[in-house]
Amino acid sequence: MTNRKTFLYIALTVVMALVFLRLFQMQILDQKNYEEKAQENSIRRVEQIPLRGVFYDRNLKLIVSNNPAYTIRVTPSEYNKYANTLNPILESVLDVEPGYINKILYNNRTYSKYIPIRIKRGIDLKVVSWLEENSEHLPGVDYIVEMQRSYLDSIVGSHVFGYTKEINPKQLEAEKGYYTAGDYVGNTGIEKFYEKQLRGVKGYNCILVDSKRKEIGRFKDGMDDVNSIKGKDLVLSLDSDVQKAAEEALRGRRGAIVAVEPKTGEILAFVSSPEYDLNQFSYVTPKDYLRDLYSDPQKPLFNRAVMSLNPPGSTFKMLAAMAALEEGIIDTNTTYYCGGGFSYGRFYKCDGVHGTLNVIHAIEHSCNTFFYQLILKIGLEKWSDYAHRFGFGKKTGIDIGGEATGLVPDEAYYRKHYGANWPRGAMVSLGIGQGELNVSPIQLAQYTALIANNGRTFVPHIVKGYLDDKTKKIVPYQFKEVTAPLKQKTYDIVKRGMFLVVNGSGTGAALKIPDVKMAGKTGTAQNPHGKDHALFIGFAPFDNPQIAVSVIVENVGFGATYAGPIAKHVIETYLSKDYKKKKMEAKAPKFQLEAEGEQIAD
Amino acid sequence: MRIDYNLNDKFDFALFFSMLGLTIFGLIAIYSSTVHHPTASGNFEKQLFSAVVSLILFFVLYMFPTSYFKDSSIYMYALSIFMLLLVLVVGRKISGARSWITFAGFGFQPSEFAKIGMIFLISNFLSKQDTEIDSFRDILKTLAMGMLPVVLILVQPDLGSTFVFFAVILVLMYWKGISLLGLFIVLAPGLVAIASLFGIYSFIAALVVVIAALFYFKKDIISSAAVFAINLAAGFFADYVYKALSEHQQTRIRSFIDPTADPLGAGYNAIQAKVAIGSGGLLGKGFLHGNQTQLQFIPEQWTDFIFCVIGEEFGFIGSLIILALFVVLFLRILKIATSTKDEFLSLLIIGIFTVYLAHFIINLGMVVGFMPVIGIPLPFVSYGGSSLLINMGMLGIVANVYRTRKNYT
Repeated sequence: MTNRKTFLYIALTVVMALVFLRLFQMQILDQKNYEEKAQENSIRRVEQIPLRGVFYDRNLKLIVSNNPAYTIRVTPSEYNKYANTLNPILESVLDVEPGYINKILYNNRTYSKYIPIRIKRGIDLKVVSWLEENSEHLPGVDYIVEMQRSYLDSIVGSHVFGYTKEINPKQLEAEKGYYTAGDYVGNTGIEKFYEKQLRGVKGYNCILVDSKRKEIGRFKDGMDDVNSIKGKDLVLSLDSDVQKAAEEALRGRRGAIVAVEPKTGEILAFVSSPEYDLNQFSYVTPKDYLRDLYSDPQKPLFNRAVMSLNPPGSTFKMLAAMAALEEGIIDTNTTYYCGGGFSYGRFYKCDGVHGTLNVIHAIEHSCNTFFYQLILKIGLEKWSDYAHRFGFGKKTGIDIGGEATGLVPDEAYYRKHYGANWPRGAMVSLGIGQGELNVSPIQLAQYTALIANNGRTFVPHIVKGYLDDKTKKIVPYQFKEVTAPLKQKTYDIVKRGMFLVVNGSGTGAALKIPDVKMAGKTGTAQNPHGKDHALFIGFAPFDNPQIAVSVIVENVGFGATYAGPIAKHVIETYLSKDYKKKKMEAKAPKFQLEAEGEQIAD
Repeated sequence: MRIDYNLNDKFDFALFFSMLGLTIFGLIAIYSSTVHHPTASGNFEKQLFSAVVSLILFFVLYMFPTSYFKDSSIYMYALSIFMLLLVLVVGRKISGARSWITFAGFGFQPSEFAKIGMIFLISNFLSKQDTEIDSFRDILKTLAMGMLPVVLILVQPDLGSTFVFFAVILVLMYWKGISLLGLFIVLAPGLVAIASLFGIYSFIAALVVVIAALFYFKKDIISSAAVFAINLAAGFFADYVYKALSEHQQTRIRSFIDPTADPLGAGYNAIQAKVAIGSGGLLGKGFLHGNQTQLQFIPEQWTDFIFCVIGEEFGFIGSLIILALFVVLFLRILKIATSTKDEFLSLLIIGIFTVYLAHFIINLGMVVGFMPVIGIPLPFVSYGGSSLLINMGMLGIVANVYRTRKNYT
């Protein structure tokens, strides 16, 4: 008997000891571990997506904003039972192909059937009211309001603004910390470059969920919630009127326009044509539209303003002129004879017979013969060095991605490609901006700005800064100064030539603007694949440049005929604006063109 | 007020207050787990009512003439068999098992009552003068008395109760003084059956152990062969029983082996139970502040998983209080069982002790992850009217025996 009793006591002791030790292990030793699991279990963080920053133009006119859009969702736990009946109805109302809903539900399936899944964004208001009316017959179907981008009707700006798009798995992998699937991110243009500023900071709500992930309420009445921080509202340097004028001028053609304020590097207009419709991207991008854009031979997705590379043609003549003047190779008294061309190994022709002329008139009349001879005097290395000083052969650093570097050849380049005995004749063409020389419209705009403002500008940029929500003041972003320090006289001489292009008897004489002194230079880029590209660079007002423009129109021919008028129109639009006019009148006294011209020309 | 110095001698306060403590603790936990529940929010009041009724039964049985118990054995057993048959006909199905009889608005589980019926009959049989526990015939008789309700319960099917019945039969025979060989003969088929559930290799290993044991006991070849044949049959029978189990019980046994394999399915309760208890820490999250409990992560937590509520909201300290109350209860019952000289009463109390202990082990083993999830309540603590009524009634009998223990010396 005692034995049996003892055994029961031992058994009891063992059982109690085991339970005690197990509880000690769970509740004391592993408590942290279990506590974490309990927290994960019951509190779900629901992201608050902050409002994306909007865009203002330089006059604080709202040009890109956010609009509410409706997104239809389905909660599988309720919906699935009726899916067979509801699928065809919803699919016809939403105007999508049969099987669409099942596909989306399958692609977005999660561990819990209680989490709603987005079926379609940007649904029609009519569909929303239909949903409202029939909500009792549509178990598990609801809609939410999300924000979508909204654009002005007057300007397109597809290549400046860029579009946002649902994040793809690759991007998600690269930016693991912040984004989650379904987020919208800037994919091109400013939307991409300023993504971090625009997106703001996500917040989250702590939601209590039960064991089946069904929401049952807010955790601690929202005390632990973190509010999202709105994205920064960007103030662009664009002038919407100028942008509109530039877009209209290029519509129907392929090409690019970049207008910049020389003193600041602020871009006033930025166009690449053809454009595409940003509205199509503001919610679910129809696959057909994107496919069409990719396959379009006009390449509308190609941002010509920063990506297209062409020889600059005659617009590059000022570069050789400045190099020669600065190096003391020539002055205004140096003249060359033009008999219609120049022989150097072979015959290089000029567009006219200009006789004897100095550098100013060589620019005015765009005399090729003058510059064929000049570049041989300068030498390739010197010339190349000056091209680099003016920002060619490297990225300008504009706040838009995808910028092309371009090509400025030097001796090493030729030696590499043609050997030690590279044909010196190749150099001759460079004097007039042809040959193995590639520049982008933005580089040309920067070059024009440097000339206009006597060698001082800033990295070209589209965003000035952001608008502080509290002070309502612009907080500027800082951009590096870009300088090309040459003697003032060098600039004066070259600008004088450019002035005469428009106001003298030069190639751009038809571009004269009443009341405004504009300077410029035409150019024609030879194109082996078709008609030449027309180029024009220019700035105005001559005495106190407010705007510098570079224009390229592809495959149309001579620069003065096509690109010049466009540049003129853009410049006129900008300068004719009331406030500009007043500013101009106050600042710029009447100046003596003739006298000044004579002085330089001596 | 004059204190009756005899009272301590007649009434086991430690026994009573440990029972009362467990019941009150249970009520608190039931309140916490159901107060915010959409459908179970009335359970606290129901349990409180059951507790009052059960306490009355406790005192009624406490005051009952002790000698009547033995005489009523056969009637108790007959009644319980009748109810087990009845439940198969008119029973209500809850979570896959037909185990409830509804009478006048009250649900009742006959399997709870059958435990006491069986304990009475076996105790009665074993305490008879001419019963020879080591005889093969009486072992079989005992087993037969036990197996009848077990078979009826397995048909329902109710796995947890079946374990309890086996434990009670075994411990009663043990208490009566069965020899090691007898115990082996009784126990081996069960162990072989369990081993067979884990696969062919463990089945073979168990049979090898049986053969080794038979050599140790050095019995004649025919007896040995018979015992081996029974064990072999038990192994195959287990497979049949396993298949007879309801699907949710099968998956529970499977998921015990790897609970994380299906975290939202069968292993879910086991994981959530551990998370609830573990996250309670030393002092717990406080009454009504356990998020696992309040957010109803464990379905029907107030029944079999009631310990999770205590573990989460009252922490290690709370768990220890429950443990301590049970220790007191068990020690008191064992003390009373050994102090009475009447063999029937001693066996009866040991049977009751075994019921409590088996429930305690299976329930605690389940919630702390030692055992598969087998639905069985924690005595006095879990929600459930019939369970509380029977448990308190049985303890009333124990207290009765304490009251009259000196009469039987």
